[in-house]
Amino acid sequence: MNFDIGIWIAAFLTLGIMSFLYKDNPWYKISEAIFIGLSAGYWFVSLFWQNLVSKLWDNLWPALDALFTRGEFTGGLLYLIAGILGLMMLMRLVPQIGWISRWPLALVVGATAGLQFINYLVSNGVIQVYNTITPLFGPVSEAGGIAPVTDVWHGLGNALILVGTFTGLVYFFFSKEHKGFFGGAARVGTWFLMITFGASFGYTVMSRMSLLIGRLDFLVNTWITGIFT
Amino acid sequence: MKHSASSTFAFLFLFLIFTGVLFAQDEPIDSAMVDSVATAVEEMVPVNPPKPAQLDIVQDNPGDAGSSIHVSWILSPDDGAGDNDVTSYIIYRSESPTGPFEAVGSASRGLVEFEDATTTDGIEYYYYVETVAGDDSARSSISRPIKSSAQWFSTKDIDTFIIGLMISLSVIFFIFAAQKGKELYLRKIAGLEAVDEAIGRATEMGRPILFIPGILDMDDVQTVAGITILGRIAKTIANYDTKLNMPVSRSIVMTTARETVKQAYVAAGRPEGYSDDMVHYLTDEQFGYVAAVDGIMVREKPATCFYLGAFFAESLIMAETGNSIGAIQIAGTAMPAQLPFFVAACDYTLIGEELFAASAYLSGEPKQLGSLKGQDIGKMIAMAAILIGCGLFTVASITNSESLLSLANTFRSIFSAS
Amino acid sequence: MGFWDKMLAIDRRWIFLFVGLSLLIPMSLGIETKLSISPETAGLFDVYENLPPGSKVLMSFDYDPPSAPELQPMADAAVKYAFMHDLKLIIMGLWPQGPLQAEISIQRALDSPELKDKEVEYGVDYVNLGFQAGNEFVIQRMGSDFREAFAMDIRGNRYEDIPILKNVKNFSNIDFAFNFSAGYPGTVEWVQVAVDRYDVVLGAGNTAVQAPLAYPYLGAGQLVGLLGGMRGGAEFEVATGFSAKATVFMLSQTFAHAIVILFIIVGNVAYAITGRGKSKLEADR
Repeated sequence: MNFDIGIWIAAFLTLGIMSFLYKDNPWYKISEAIFIGLSAGYWFVSLFWQNLVSKLWDNLWPALDALFTRGEFTGGLLYLIAGILGLMMLMRLVPQIGWISRWPLALVVGATAGLQFINYLVSNGVIQVYNTITPLFGPVSEAGGIAPVTDVWHGLGNALILVGTFTGLVYFFFSKEHKGFFGGAARVGTWFLMITFGASFGYTVMSRMSLLIGRLDFLVNTWITGIFT
Repeated sequence: MKHSASSTFAFLFLFLIFTGVLFAQDEPIDSAMVDSVATAVEEMVPVNPPKPAQLDIVQDNPGDAGSSIHVSWILSPDDGAGDNDVTSYIIYRSESPTGPFEAVGSASRGLVEFEDATTTDGIEYYYYVETVAGDDSARSSISRPIKSSAQWFSTKDIDTFIIGLMISLSVIFFIFAAQKGKELYLRKIAGLEAVDEAIGRATEMGRPILFIPGILDMDDVQTVAGITILGRIAKTIANYDTKLNMPVSRSIVMTTARETVKQAYVAAGRPEGYSDDMVHYLTDEQFGYVAAVDGIMVREKPATCFYLGAFFAESLIMAETGNSIGAIQIAGTAMPAQLPFFVAACDYTLIGEELFAASAYLSGEPKQLGSLKGQDIGKMIAMAAILIGCGLFTVASITNSESLLSLANTFRSIFSAS
Repeated sequence: MGFWDKMLAIDRRWIFLFVGLSLLIPMSLGIETKLSISPETAGLFDVYENLPPGSKVLMSFDYDPPSAPELQPMADAAVKYAFMHDLKLIIMGLWPQGPLQAEISIQRALDSPELKDKEVEYGVDYVNLGFQAGNEFVIQRMGSDFREAFAMDIRGNRYEDIPILKNVKNFSNIDFAFNFSAGYPGTVEWVQVAVDRYDVVLGAGNTAVQAPLAYPYLGAGQLVGLLGGMRGGAEFEVATGFSAKATVFMLSQTFAHAIVILFIIVGNVAYAITGRGKSKLEADR
């Protein structure tokens, strides 16, 4: 029998979490508590070494060393600003001066928003509009990279994309009440959304089954097989 | 003539060496050896080199941040035609027209351009392209000197800039309008009407309300929207004196949420009802967090659960557990992958942008209202562009009109983002 | 209570039991099902297959152990194929555990019988640059200079001392990028920054949850191919010729899906026959 303590602990915790499927019980509570505590500790250590030490300290220390020992100003000193901003963020834990943390938060939010504005506008907006502009039918010669619509199914596909995209946008238009023609288009958009959600849900069921397969593979082929070998 | 003994000995020695060389050959020189020598000679000298590609354009890449030179060439006549034996092109670079040149990249046959993104701005470079056909190759002429440099603007992104500017200006316009007191219309959002009733249900049943603000940090706009709605919900909770339980997975979210809930209790005139324990941190780890939330649900049995923010795989676990305990569930997220689960398992779902609309609707804040209206302009641009573009292409194909097709392509190219 | 009422009120633990059995029984049979390769996988494999030996492939491992059952099979196949065909791998991760998952793939490839006699040298044939915090900002920095994002590799070697990185400054020196993604940051960020700004040729493997988000990019040509979930991994294993766990598990997957479909049909029929259910608020009133 292969007695690897790590495998047995993993199996104990896996089965403990899975026991929740039957009902809440002390075994699940123990596994849950271990998981929460361990993950909190793991992330603390991971963030400390991979962010604080390797990103801040390892860049700042050589610059400080060069400054104090040789009087040189190097680019690494810019990380002082990052360090100060990080300390300001921690001021959130002190109620009297918690407002100080708004400055670094504003910087992070602003920088992320600025970068993501362009990314999402281009990749998720402009390029998607570009690819939605297609002919619905007709033997158009291949121009601008659009394949000619040579059969009715191709045209129907293009029409579906057009209708789905347009009515989806109508559904999310908040400046007009959903009444009359507009309301009808919004309703069609809702149907397209629900069909999309259904397809996405199906894909996710596959994902969950795959993850369960992974765990069962561990239990059967690693733990139980290890008992008998 | 008299010879010395040493010269005689030297002559004999040389004679022996010559004789030895003759007899040391174990095989006569034959035709096979001649052939292999000929082959070796052949391999040294290209017998049938490909026709070289000709340099076309070598220039600094326009509209970039520097360190990049664009090299293009006209295909070798033996690429896809002629001997059709070209396999690749190798691009060489030097800081002097006389070399030494080093290879900086390659391109497969059929390709006519290469971006050299390893240049140093301000240094003059010379390029040539080597056409390769198996073991043979041929060079193009050497280019004139080129320097790379950075530009302030990328003119090829002008279309994207204009579209972004139009949306940004409309957002700013509507924010100013809202700040001046103009009433901005927002359509009704299903699910929001159920919020008060859901809170009332929890009060009547004497059971707590669970609020989950997602698992991302305060830099995510969905978390901000969730916390904004929390402010409104917390005020109602304070008025009804219902218990609130809000476990979070980010420390900054915890402190922000505590401030929000505290302010809500103060605004409702019930500051003594607030306690820091209402909002508590669990863990950053995704599944550790949801395991703990499931435990809370099963043990405390909240009557109402709110899931408003950014979620990932844990969404279905929470929603299903909430369903199993019979709680009313109102969810809202802009994560497309999680919406199906909330739609299936929750009673009301704010889909995508409805979460931000709800946040704007409930808070009445001018910036949020103005942003929402400005985004509607963006949607109008997209809808109009799609309809016009598809219409143009469809009519062009029916009428077979070249001019209309050209117009349609020009219109479509506005959105090519390249 | 009629039959359909009972079906609507069925204890969920029966469903768990049926699903569990539908996964366990086929798993114990160990049968490999015959798989067809979808156009999404074929598109990616076509590009990967046509990379000439010596091509530089950037592999970004953006997932952690919880997503390993879905993404590890495709990663294993991709790494093994690269080693077999002399593709040079530059490995990195935007998730902390990603590069460690890459080490698992590398070790499995090097331990496989096909690579037993092949010399694969660290620093020459592959390098692991490790994890870098910063999400899409890291990709942005890599666009100008990889060294700004990764001064050292996972073993502490300096970037300039690593032979495989000798002429690699930024994305223009990469022939193909392969991203294994379980969420954020992942394929979406790689498309938005690397593809749309720096014209990187990108193929992606996603968990099945993330895959629907990537389909618009596939349709727009921003991705050359997409592997979705364990099924995508199984298809890629078949395409590369290294059938492994994902291919074997497809039978379990199929049975589980069949059980779920059956319950959905029964549930919907019961829902329709018994009349529309009330919302909890309506029931309370």
